[in-house]
Amino acid sequence: MSRAYGILAEFDSADGVVAAIRAARAAGYTRLDAYSPFPLREAADLLEQRTLIVPVIAVTAGLVGAAIQYYAQYWMNAVDYPINVGGRPLHAWPAFLPAAFIVGILWASAASLIGMLALNRLPRLHHPLFDAPGFERASQDRFFLCIASDDPKFDRAETIRFLERMNAGRVQEVAA
Amino acid sequence: MTETDREAPAGIIADIPLALSFDWRWKLAIAFAGALVLLLVFGMAQPVLFGIGVWGANVPYVWGFDLVNYVWWIGIANGASLFAAILVIRRHDLRTSINRFAEGVALFAVICAGIFPIMHLGRPWLFYWTFPYPATFEVWPQFRSTLTWDFWAISTHVIVTTLLWYTGLIPDLATLRDRSRSLRSKTVFGLFALGWRGSVRHWAYHQTAYRIVAALVLPLILIMQSTVAFEFATTLVPAWHDTRKPLHFVVTGIASGLATVLFIAIMLRRGLSLERYIDDEDIELMAKLLLAASLVIAIIYLEEAFTSVLSGPLAQETLLARLFDQFAGAYWAAILLIVVAPQVLWFERARSSLLVCALASASVLVGVWLDRFSIVIGGMQGDYLPSVSGTYLPTFPEWALLGGTLGLFAGFLLLFVRFLPVISMFETRHAEHGDGS
Amino acid sequence: MNKYDAYRTDFAALTGQQGPRLWRSLEELADTPEMRRFIEAEFPYINEARTDRRTFLRLMGASLAMAGLTACGDPTVAPLYSQPRGNWADALGQASTFASLLDLDGYGRGVLVETRNGRPVKIEGNPLHPASLGATDVFAQAELLSLYDPDRSQGAFYNGKDVDDRAAPRVLAEARAAFAPGGEGVRILTGPVTSPTLRALISAMQREYPAARAHEYSPIADDNSRAGAVLAFGRPVQAVHDFSRADVILTLGADPFGDMEGHVRHARDFADRRRAAHSGGMLPRLYAAESTPSLSGARADHRAVLRPAEIGFFARAVASRLGVVQDGPSDVHPMVETAAADLSRAGSNALVVVGREQPAALHALAYAINAALGASGTTSRYIEPLTAAETGHMASLAALAEDMAAGAVSQLLIIGGNPAYDAPADLDFADLIRRVPVSIHLGLYRDETAAAARWHLPRKHALESWGDGRAFEGTAGIRQPVATPLFDAFSDEEALALFLGADTHDGNDIVRTYWRDALGAADFEQSWTAILADGVVPNSAAPALDVSLQPDWDQQLPSEALPGLTVLFAPDPSVWDGRYANNGWLQELPRPLTKIVWDNAALIAPATAETLGLKTGDIASFNAGGRSLLAPIRLMPGHALETVTMPLGYGRRAAGRIGTGVGFNAYALRTSHAPWIATGVEVVRTGEAHALVTTQDHHGMEGRDIVRIVAPDQAVETPSTEPQPSFYPDYAYEGHAWGMTIDLDTCLGCNACVIACQAENNVPIVGRDEVARGREMHWLRIDRYHAGDVEDPDTYFQPVPCMHCEKAPCEVVCPVNATVHSSEGLNEMVYNRCIGTRTCSNNCPYKVRRFNWFDYSPPDPEPRNPDVSVRPRGVMEKCTYCVQRISAARIDAKLEGRRIGEELMTACQQACPTRAITFGDINDPASAVSRLKASPRNYALLGELDTRPRTTYLARVANPADPEGSG
Repeated sequence: MSRAYGILAEFDSADGVVAAIRAARAAGYTRLDAYSPFPLREAADLLEQRTLIVPVIAVTAGLVGAAIQYYAQYWMNAVDYPINVGGRPLHAWPAFLPAAFIVGILWASAASLIGMLALNRLPRLHHPLFDAPGFERASQDRFFLCIASDDPKFDRAETIRFLERMNAGRVQEVAA
Repeated sequence: MTETDREAPAGIIADIPLALSFDWRWKLAIAFAGALVLLLVFGMAQPVLFGIGVWGANVPYVWGFDLVNYVWWIGIANGASLFAAILVIRRHDLRTSINRFAEGVALFAVICAGIFPIMHLGRPWLFYWTFPYPATFEVWPQFRSTLTWDFWAISTHVIVTTLLWYTGLIPDLATLRDRSRSLRSKTVFGLFALGWRGSVRHWAYHQTAYRIVAALVLPLILIMQSTVAFEFATTLVPAWHDTRKPLHFVVTGIASGLATVLFIAIMLRRGLSLERYIDDEDIELMAKLLLAASLVIAIIYLEEAFTSVLSGPLAQETLLARLFDQFAGAYWAAILLIVVAPQVLWFERARSSLLVCALASASVLVGVWLDRFSIVIGGMQGDYLPSVSGTYLPTFPEWALLGGTLGLFAGFLLLFVRFLPVISMFETRHAEHGDGS
Repeated sequence: MNKYDAYRTDFAALTGQQGPRLWRSLEELADTPEMRRFIEAEFPYINEARTDRRTFLRLMGASLAMAGLTACGDPTVAPLYSQPRGNWADALGQASTFASLLDLDGYGRGVLVETRNGRPVKIEGNPLHPASLGATDVFAQAELLSLYDPDRSQGAFYNGKDVDDRAAPRVLAEARAAFAPGGEGVRILTGPVTSPTLRALISAMQREYPAARAHEYSPIADDNSRAGAVLAFGRPVQAVHDFSRADVILTLGADPFGDMEGHVRHARDFADRRRAAHSGGMLPRLYAAESTPSLSGARADHRAVLRPAEIGFFARAVASRLGVVQDGPSDVHPMVETAAADLSRAGSNALVVVGREQPAALHALAYAINAALGASGTTSRYIEPLTAAETGHMASLAALAEDMAAGAVSQLLIIGGNPAYDAPADLDFADLIRRVPVSIHLGLYRDETAAAARWHLPRKHALESWGDGRAFEGTAGIRQPVATPLFDAFSDEEALALFLGADTHDGNDIVRTYWRDALGAADFEQSWTAILADGVVPNSAAPALDVSLQPDWDQQLPSEALPGLTVLFAPDPSVWDGRYANNGWLQELPRPLTKIVWDNAALIAPATAETLGLKTGDIASFNAGGRSLLAPIRLMPGHALETVTMPLGYGRRAAGRIGTGVGFNAYALRTSHAPWIATGVEVVRTGEAHALVTTQDHHGMEGRDIVRIVAPDQAVETPSTEPQPSFYPDYAYEGHAWGMTIDLDTCLGCNACVIACQAENNVPIVGRDEVARGREMHWLRIDRYHAGDVEDPDTYFQPVPCMHCEKAPCEVVCPVNATVHSSEGLNEMVYNRCIGTRTCSNNCPYKVRRFNWFDYSPPDPEPRNPDVSVRPRGVMEKCTYCVQRISAARIDAKLEGRRIGEELMTACQQACPTRAITFGDINDPASAVSRLKASPRNYALLGELDTRPRTTYLARVANPADPEGSG
């Protein structure tokens, strides 16, 4: 048969899947991922999921956006087409700040959300897991653990057995 | 936790959009909203075809309902987003029940608000000239103008609110995708779910980004609402030229946002029998918040009178004009509806009565509208030259715009409750799982 | 017909027979081989370029000029032009200016008319004309709109039915054919005639038809002063006042600056004397005793509010103090003492002026006072009457009416005027006209008289016809056509000539013939050319007559007997006697004191109104002598008690689309025996109300420093001017920096500037309803304020155009750079960039910006200044300091290699009778405006806002006599 994507185990409780993850790590599995209908703090910690990158993206984008907006205003009103408007200074920095600030926020929020999607490799409308029977409940009330086939420690029979020991519900192989 | 516990949230909430049965009340409501939207079309066609002379505006009353309604709607939008954002950041329990449609309210309100800055122009079809693009004039927008600031503020507000709302929706869209029986809904929801799998990685990034944007919404809302206030405060008009205006606008805006959210919450709870998700505690908590807001506004009104007294003769005259001249009714009615009426919420029994809460929030909404009227129109009464006088009388096309936007708002909301989960399902699960904090 | 055809034909008519040939000659010239060679030499690309006609003409015009070919070659063309280059200018679409003449009740006011391509576009005063000195009143400005009025009569009709356009000559000839021998029953009714040519024609008629009669009538006539002259001097003479020498002036119910003939000149002389006084000299002091607030009264240093009957007693009291009469009533009014003292001190430089409403005996008394003070010869002189010499107008009309009633009139030719509407009600003149077998009306409109007459013939507008007329002091001026008649019509002279079967009936010939005889044939052409260019006949002023008081001059003044109210009739400041009722500019012009537009109202003192239970807007019924009239009330501060003033000229039934049905017709109460003052009028309130539309309903100044008043030689106290720290840099204005001063000391509030601005800048009229909504479009408004008690308040006027602030608040709030500053300090509106947020208006503390709520652009045909763009719907507009004139001046200056000088005038400045408005370069310390801004009276309106307005005001100077009455 064709090469497998990985082995998928279904659990009916968050605690179950968390326990399984812990065990899998202990067993030395590295290419793990868990799927749940709501965020699982512990799972994230166990898998050492870092998210610091997101605020970094946000702040950087925000600063860049604000800078661009400010400079654009300055360039348009003071450099490219300077006009005496009500005797105000051409480079009226106090008046240029609000828009710069607002647009900074725009860039920051847009960047963090787009960045989030990018980091999650989304949108990706098809994924091998979607073929796994019962996986649709991952978005409702079931919890899944998947050990990827490219895990160095991956061995089809061995991994299935390992997962079954985690008193998971159905354990199945997911085709790539 | 039991089977039903976990089944439930996805269950009832998800079934609303998935069940394509529209009961007669919904149909009636959407029909009414549709009729109002037709009114909006009329209201927008009039000034475009014949000129904004169809309104009651004149010199010096160059702004009328157009700005009153704009300021009112934007206040609601800002209040609602601010409320939603705070809930997300604080991870408050209310967010499970309130967030999703609070964000929706914000989005729909800002859309209604956005109509007016365009429609109020003498030449609406040229609104895009406020955007800096290389025009044949080779002239750029004038960035010292508060109106340009507002252009950026509104556009940013629309985009950010939409992103925040959609991001929150993604996991629930996935749920809908996975629950839908018909291929069509599966496809549609599937597309918008972007292939969400709910992996640990997904959740981690999602939650962080979601919270960051929520945090960014706070300053955005404050400066956005202040920008609206600047449009008045930076002019020389005696009644407007006033550094406290942003404070006034923010505070009253929050109140109107709260009131709308509370009002909608009650409607949803009754209309979709969501007692379990929008429970009495939620309602009572929001009622208390509304009461608090109205007390703050009471202080704001006193403070306004006080500063005007300190601000010299012209400011005093203009305040007196607002209090006792031709538009005095709006001022006093505003105080009655915003400050006095909500005091009933001091009483436990009042807070526990959906009807009273609904009436209280409605009263605040109307009151805030009158407050805007009293500022925009009433504020125009006192000017530097006594020779400059006149009056303002709204015309039917102006009422049509107000009613029309109300219809548009209601229409959006009705479609929203019908086709999307009005309560955040994953948040609910989260909360019920007990891993809430 | 397209523009080009228009100006070709116009031009043809302008230049008589030569015109068309000259025009064609342009093309012919262009086609001659040498011309071709020349043009190709000058413009090598002309053959490649498929140039359209316009471009080609422009090129050719230029080349002709280069070639040194002059336009003035043809002597019969040149005389029509004040500027000989005019006809070439026309080819180039540039301005050519003609000197002409417009009359008001017969009295001529010299004007210069600017035309483009043969179309008049603007009227200015003729600096050489004594009644104008370069300024105009509102009526002269508005004649331009009347010229283009689509409601003008465009063809003859018979019994109200249209007939063939060319019927007129036949009609008049047939009428003449039916003349009885000696012209028995032939009558001619004209307005007041000062025109020497028309006089000559009339006397020619009387020579040929001894039994024929000519009558003159105007509802606004000075019969009483004439009768007074007969009492005082035993002969009907006409007084001419000279304010340039008057130190102390007492007006008795008169408005010498408002509605008296020569008012423009009076105002100018008065203002000049005040200005002279500011640089040392005696400040003229004005005393006004009047029943109705007037412009002169508003400017007076002392004002006595008196019932019409009391004015006579007041005058007698003054006269007795001066020893002119023995028995004078005592304690009539405190002003008597001071006025008398001042008058006697001023002696020959004193002047007493009496209003046309006042009885003859009062006029006689005033003549006597002036004589006693030795003022005759200095401040007032006497000339032969210029109009209705023998009888006086009302008597003349009454006589005609008598004949008509008796059936003694068989042919009646009514030239101009509208007697069916404006004749006193007791004559029932319209009905009399219908009784005449052959009645012919020559009129500008198919008005009430046209309806009553058998025949109506269209009349040429003054700007279309040849003619002449005398100014209030006798100087003759020539009226030359500045446009071809828009319709097939006749001038008065032409119609009369046809009626009498004169050998020529071409206006040009008639006028030329008269003046050739008058001036003598010797080198007539040259002198005629000069006269046409100047618009006035040199030294034709009427000689002063040597008159002396009759022994029995002092007649008893009529004493008021009847109970009830007294009604005063007055010409309306906008529609005059009703002739301008269909003029939109004038209808929408806020009346100076009431600020009412599109209406007239019965003015009444607040106290009297209270006793009658009336308030502004109430409709009351006025009943007198079996006649009654419904009129809305308007409370008038400073109006005499138990007296009502009714402006004439409204309630027209056949004025046209603008004027029909506007206001109430006060003529309905007017009688031929008491045309000005009707006593014993009963007033009943009807309970009905009528909304009067005004542009300013607020009276007071709220104690703010808006109109500043100073004592003579006193400076305005202005807030400390040391510079405050500021975020804003001071922009440097190299080159020109335009600025304006408005002198509130000489401004009379006459509205000339407002309507001049409207004409110059294509400012649309918006109609009664829009004004009611507060959407009037005037770029320049005149604010009117009252101060003091409502019985007798002080009245101030303040013209408010755009201030062109250097720190313009309007500009900084515009999101699209649609209103910005020019390098010369103009606050400019970029119409095509404006998207209409209207926030600039919000931020303008002067509220001078106007918005196009609808598409207000004036419909064709209407006079439009081609240099000023017509604003579309949805954009803001406002005063531009006449930027188009600045550009024109700059071009001329560049061509002549010099700086722009004082020749540059804004429209408001040019029209102002008192020269209260000064405009110029504030960078040039020598300029008039710079010197005025250095005056201690100079202040900025709302200066505390630090918007640095370029337009500033000169404080008004109050010069009351101190209690002891010593100067």
